[in-house]
Amino acid sequence: MNILEKIEESLERLNDKIEVMIEIQKNGNENHKSTSALPEASLDVMTLLSMPDHLRKTAMSICRCSRATAEEIAGQTRRARAVESAYLNQLVIMGYLKKERKGRKAYFYIDKETQG
Amino acid sequence: MSKIIAVHSYKGGTGKTLLSVNLAATFAKNGKKVCLFDLDFRAPSLFAILKAENSEYWFNDYLNNTVDIDKVLVNLSDRVPGNGKFFAGLANPATEAIRDMSSKDRKWEMRALGRLLALRESLLIDQSFDYIFLDTSPGLQYSSINAIVAADFVVVATTGDRSDVDGTKRMLKELYSLFEKKTGLVLNKVLDATATAKKSEMSNKVKMNYQVPMLGIVPCFCEILRAEGNLIFVQDKAEHPFTKILAEMARKIESNEVN
Repeated sequence: MNILEKIEESLERLNDKIEVMIEIQKNGNENHKSTSALPEASLDVMTLLSMPDHLRKTAMSICRCSRATAEEIAGQTRRARAVESAYLNQLVIMGYLKKERKGRKAYFYIDKETQG
Repeated sequence: MSKIIAVHSYKGGTGKTLLSVNLAATFAKNGKKVCLFDLDFRAPSLFAILKAENSEYWFNDYLNNTVDIDKVLVNLSDRVPGNGKFFAGLANPATEAIRDMSSKDRKWEMRALGRLLALRESLLIDQSFDYIFLDTSPGLQYSSINAIVAADFVVVATTGDRSDVDGTKRMLKELYSLFEKKTGLVLNKVLDATATAKKSEMSNKVKMNYQVPMLGIVPCFCEILRAEGNLIFVQDKAEHPFTKILAEMARKIESNEVN
C-alpha cells in the first residue's frame, strides 16, 4: 500500500476518534451546562494570526464560505479531505467552529449567534 | 484574478489614500465599474477628498449591520471621464463615530470581517462591479487586517524612511505572507526618481531589499502637495507623469503582471 494511503487511513481513524470526542463533549455540555468545557472562541483576524499555519489555512477558508463540508474546504486548500476533516474537527474542539450533521454529510460553520 | 484590492502601509503619511483614490479612478477611467471604501475609521479622509461630506449612510453602518451596502454607496461616476462607474463607501468622520469604531470588541471585528467578505458576492457577483478598493489605516489595526484578509491583492505603500522600511519588511514577513496574500510594493515620495537609469537601479534595490514584487515607483511631485488633496489627479491632470505611473500600475494589476 502506498505510504500516502496509509497516512490518509490513519488520519481517517484519528478523525473518527475526534468526532467521538466532540460528541462526548457536546453531550457533556448538554448535561452540565453550567460547567461548559470550552468557552466559545471568536475566529477573528488576531486569532487567525496566532494560529499555526496548517489551521490558519483551514480557518480562512471557512471564513470565506461561512458553512462548508471538509470536501468543500479541501477543494479550496488543495489538501486531502481527510486532512481538512481533521483540522476542522480540531477547530471545533478549540471552540472556533460548530459542526452539524445532515444525513451523511458533516457541515462546519462559524456560529454567528454565539460569537456576537 | 485580483478583484478586491487593499491599499495598506506600515506607517501613516505614505500616500495610501492618494494611491487608492487615483488607482480606483484610473480603473474607472478605463471603463471599469469600481468601488472604493474608506476603512480608516480612526482618521477618515476620503469624504473630504471626494467632496462627499453629506452622506446619509456610511460604511460604518454597513459593518454595524444596520443597512445594506446599496444605501452606503455614493455614485461619483460624473467625477471621472469615460464610461466607467466610480462609487465610494465612506467612513463617518463624526467624533462620536470614530470613538464608536475605536471601541469595538473582537466579536464585532469578526462579524465585520464576514461583512467585508460578503462584498465579493453582493458587489462583484450580484452587481457586476469589476474591482473593489479598500483604503485602510496604517499598521496592525483590526480594520486593516480584516481588509487584508478579505483582499485578493495588497498594494503596500512605503517610503524611504528608515523606520518605514523596517516596519514594512516585518509586515511583509509576519502579516501578508501568513495570510498568503499577493502583494505589490509602491515606493512613494521618492526624490530624484525621474531618470530611467536611476529608476531601474532603485527598482532592483527595492526588490532585493523587500523580496516582493514591485508595483511602481512614485517620485515626490510638488504639484501633488500643492493640490492639497483637492484634485483627483488622474482625472484633473491627464498628462501629468503621476497619472501615467498610475495607469501603468493599473495595467500591471489588471494583467496580473506584478512580479
